[in-house]
Amino acid sequence: MVIDITDVTPLFTWLLGPEWTEGRLFHPLSLTVFLLLLIAGLLWLVVRLRKGHGSTGRGAAMAIGGGSAAAIVLVALGIIAWKLLLLGKAEEIAWTLPLANFAEGLRNSCFKGLQWLLGSGWHQGALYCWFLVIISAAAAVFVVGGLAAALRRGPIKALETSGRAIGDCALDVVRISPRRVGALAWLAVKESIRRRVVVVFAVFILILLFAGWYLDPGNIDPARLYLNFVLTTTGYLVILLVLFLSSLSLPADIKSRTLHTIVTKPVRSSEVVLGRIAGFTAVATCLLLIMGVISYFFVERGLAHTHEIDADSLKTVEYAVGRPTGRQGVTTLVHEHRHKVVVDPSGNGRVEIEQGHRHELEGDWKELLSKESAGKKYQLGRPEGMLLARVPVYGKLAYRDRKGEPTDKGINVGDEWTYRSYIEGGSLAAAVWTFQGITEERFSDGLPVDMTLGIFRTHKGDIEKGVTGSLLLRNPRAGADVKPTEVQIFESKEFQIDNRLIPREVRTPDGKKVDLFKEFVSDGEVEIWLRCVDMAQYFGVAQADMYLRAHNAPFAWNFAKGYFGIWLLGLLVIALGVLFSTFLSAPVAVLATFGALLGGLFHDFMFRLATHQTYGGGPLESFVRILTQQNVTSEMEPGLRTTLVQTLDQPAKFGLWLLAAVLPDLSRFNVFSKCVAYGFNIPGDTILTYTCRTFAFVLPLFVAAYLCLKNREVAR
Amino acid sequence: MQSEIIIETRNLTKVYRDFWGRQKVRALKALDLEVRRGEIFGLLGPNGSGKTTTIKLLLGLLFPTTGQALVFDRDAREVTKNERIGYLPEESYLYRFLNAEETLDFYGRLFNMSRAVRRQRVADLIEMVGLDWAKRRQLKEYSKGMTRRIGLAQALINDPELIVLDEPTTGLDPIGTREMKDLIIKLRDEGKTVLLCSHLLADVQDVCDRIAILYQGELKEMGRVDSLLKVQDVTEIRVAGLSAIGQEEVKQAIERNNGHVLNIGNPTTTLEDLFLKIIRESEEHPGRRVRGVGEKT
Ligand SMILES: Nc1ncnc2c1ncn2[C@@H]1O[C@H](COP(=O)(O)OP(=O)(O)OP(=O)(O)O)[C@@H](O)[C@H]1O
Ligand SMILES: [Mg+2]
Repeated sequence: MVIDITDVTPLFTWLLGPEWTEGRLFHPLSLTVFLLLLIAGLLWLVVRLRKGHGSTGRGAAMAIGGGSAAAIVLVALGIIAWKLLLLGKAEEIAWTLPLANFAEGLRNSCFKGLQWLLGSGWHQGALYCWFLVIISAAAAVFVVGGLAAALRRGPIKALETSGRAIGDCALDVVRISPRRVGALAWLAVKESIRRRVVVVFAVFILILLFAGWYLDPGNIDPARLYLNFVLTTTGYLVILLVLFLSSLSLPADIKSRTLHTIVTKPVRSSEVVLGRIAGFTAVATCLLLIMGVISYFFVERGLAHTHEIDADSLKTVEYAVGRPTGRQGVTTLVHEHRHKVVVDPSGNGRVEIEQGHRHELEGDWKELLSKESAGKKYQLGRPEGMLLARVPVYGKLAYRDRKGEPTDKGINVGDEWTYRSYIEGGSLAAAVWTFQGITEERFSDGLPVDMTLGIFRTHKGDIEKGVTGSLLLRNPRAGADVKPTEVQIFESKEFQIDNRLIPREVRTPDGKKVDLFKEFVSDGEVEIWLRCVDMAQYFGVAQADMYLRAHNAPFAWNFAKGYFGIWLLGLLVIALGVLFSTFLSAPVAVLATFGALLGGLFHDFMFRLATHQTYGGGPLESFVRILTQQNVTSEMEPGLRTTLVQTLDQPAKFGLWLLAAVLPDLSRFNVFSKCVAYGFNIPGDTILTYTCRTFAFVLPLFVAAYLCLKNREVAR
Repeated sequence: MQSEIIIETRNLTKVYRDFWGRQKVRALKALDLEVRRGEIFGLLGPNGSGKTTTIKLLLGLLFPTTGQALVFDRDAREVTKNERIGYLPEESYLYRFLNAEETLDFYGRLFNMSRAVRRQRVADLIEMVGLDWAKRRQLKEYSKGMTRRIGLAQALINDPELIVLDEPTTGLDPIGTREMKDLIIKLRDEGKTVLLCSHLLADVQDVCDRIAILYQGELKEMGRVDSLLKVQDVTEIRVAGLSAIGQEEVKQAIERNNGHVLNIGNPTTTLEDLFLKIIRESEEHPGRRVRGVGEKT
């Protein structure tokens, strides 16, 4: 089994910014020292804190409170000074000039220092953004809470209280006891069982049974249909289940007062929250495991079929007079499709791809040529290539115009959206992909090319036959005058992934046989050209339309990764549900979690709405437009109403923006099911990235839930 | 004789507010209490007088509006103090889908006890509360008294130093009540501190060393049970085998000394009388503290 969590470079780039390798910190030695120090320091702190008893002492509380307040004030002053002095017209106010210079200098040196340490692209790194958001949020809470306390009890007391709050928070997180969390998680599992989680299984099986009737295996891509179906169903079921479980659990405990007996034991709020999250996650994991196995067999069985070849129905084909003959025909109709069968005179037979798969003959093809075959039926094997996890190597796409000159775009044929650009047939126009990382070891049999081409016909031609295209190879390091070498002519298939193999042995125009890697590959780079041969027909291509298939990853493993995507989403929903249930009553918590889930799924729309990227203005303005039946694209009539509506929309938009900024973009998680359904391997770094993303949300959600529960009067 | 103070409340006040922050009930008004190590302290009061509220404040289930509640010299909101506390709630709030063994084992795990210790302790406690015959049954099948017993067992799982019992004898049969009282006294004899609240005055009188009486959230009386029940301005003379003439002579002697014979017979000063008297007086003069005699002992 290939576990492809090996290449972590994209992950690190995402986490630490594009130029992270430049940073001094990331040199192996300094990084090792830094990490060792960090880990040792953390360990020391944790061990020390775990040994202690009681809450934060007065002195420590004052120190923490004072320190945080000082840091916040300093940073705030710095930001204000910088904005005022630099963004304001510093030249006009002469007396601030030295200050402004100082601020600018400070900023520059800070920036330089960070660049030196973390690389120049560090500010694009997700990790730093995350820290920034977390620290800002914590600072905001600290300031608001501190001010409230200062109003009630005076500034000194407020500093001590807020300091103690931070200290206790750290203590409560550090001193979590695994045994207690285990016990609480066990309780959550027991409770879920009592709430009849098993019913979900029954529903699942029922859905699958019904689906068995309705899912059409004669679909053009049955594998996608089936996979989409099982992944979506499992996803919805599990997400809804954990949504209800997690948001109903704590309110039920508070209502039945069973929580009283728990929190009067030495149980921290952090442990109650973590126990719930762990317990429901365990439930979700078990459910997903079992459902995954069931779905796998459901898909396998739903797609399994064979065909027969009726030897008598095959026509004899004469390639040349007097030469041995081949035979041609189709298989029997199963799952509403037939495959073309071709047996060439030398006895090599082939079943053509249909609906994304082919079959092998279990016997010998030669028999079909002989007289013995008369009246016999031949059984074909299981479908092959239906459930795939392709590992694509994508190239960079460039275009050549009809004279063969480089151009930045192909032709827009007008009737389609701009995703694809078109190249004209019968001319020198070409689409050129440059692939990297092409080595003999990876592609020992030649280059397996997968293509999905858009076809635009200006005349019908032979509608039964596809448009003819050709594939050519060129060495990217060769001089500009070196022409590409044609290696394959093919008949295009529309709406389907067409897989072709460019063999290693290539025949050059002057008849020499050369090795592909010797002739066309330099530094692991190769150019593959696509041309359309038929006059006045067009091929539409986009960058992702052609890729090399390095190998196929095991499908079952990819399927499991798809379920892991659902698991991550489930974990997020659980954390959200538990957070809401710490301060809301049961029905409201369910609604809130549901709202957050929807908000996460329509994250993109919310963000566009909040940042003026949609037509029709904000919520109020569009409401007015609906009432007055105005077009969304026309300007509102200037006047009091418009001004009023648009002003009132500002806070609404800000609220939306805040929501969009806080909520995770859950719609992105469907990349997992998409990949599985479309038959692509989910890359290891995608998994790592999404795992990081999920935990980046779960961690603050956990802390927020802990704080809410800690400051809640359980007995109200 | 002054021993360590286990529970201390200073000016403890609790105001229940509704969702909008409006004041609903002043459940506790400036309560000052002290409970010392090794005593059985009883909280008395009519329904709704704030007993349960006091206990919840002491356990950190509620947060005080003003004032402070200290347990083991630590703030009541701190969790680590719970390691030394056992709490039996008003009703047993336990998970009904667990059986007796699972319940006790679960709470044992919350005290971070190891498996071996837990097993021993669970067996002992089930034996002690006499539920051996039903330990594998889910709590939802239990009767009220059985639930009460398992609640008591869960309160004792950590061998606590301070035991807080909210109406410990409700729902128990007479034998159970007797056993509960014996147990409370036994715990005291082991050096533990017990805080209990109850309506059943006879029970309180039997077991408590000191009591406090609450009425509408105010402390009306606090002191040692024996001195509280001593009726100061009444002299009791107990004589055995006195004849009717003798009685008449004694009566006359009393009247000569400006005494006033109330009743000759067996005195029945009980906690019940005291309790009723205090409640009646509080109703007549709201707000005034009825100072008792046992205050400073
Ligand atoms: N959650 C609550 N919200 C509002 N008021 C409450 C709440 N809990 C108790 N109270 C009020 O506080 C007062 C004291 O209640 P508490 O439960 O402490 O009484 P108690 O002395 O324990 O009574 P009982 O003998 O009936 O158990 C009562 O007036 C009650 O109505
Ligand atoms: Mg009560």
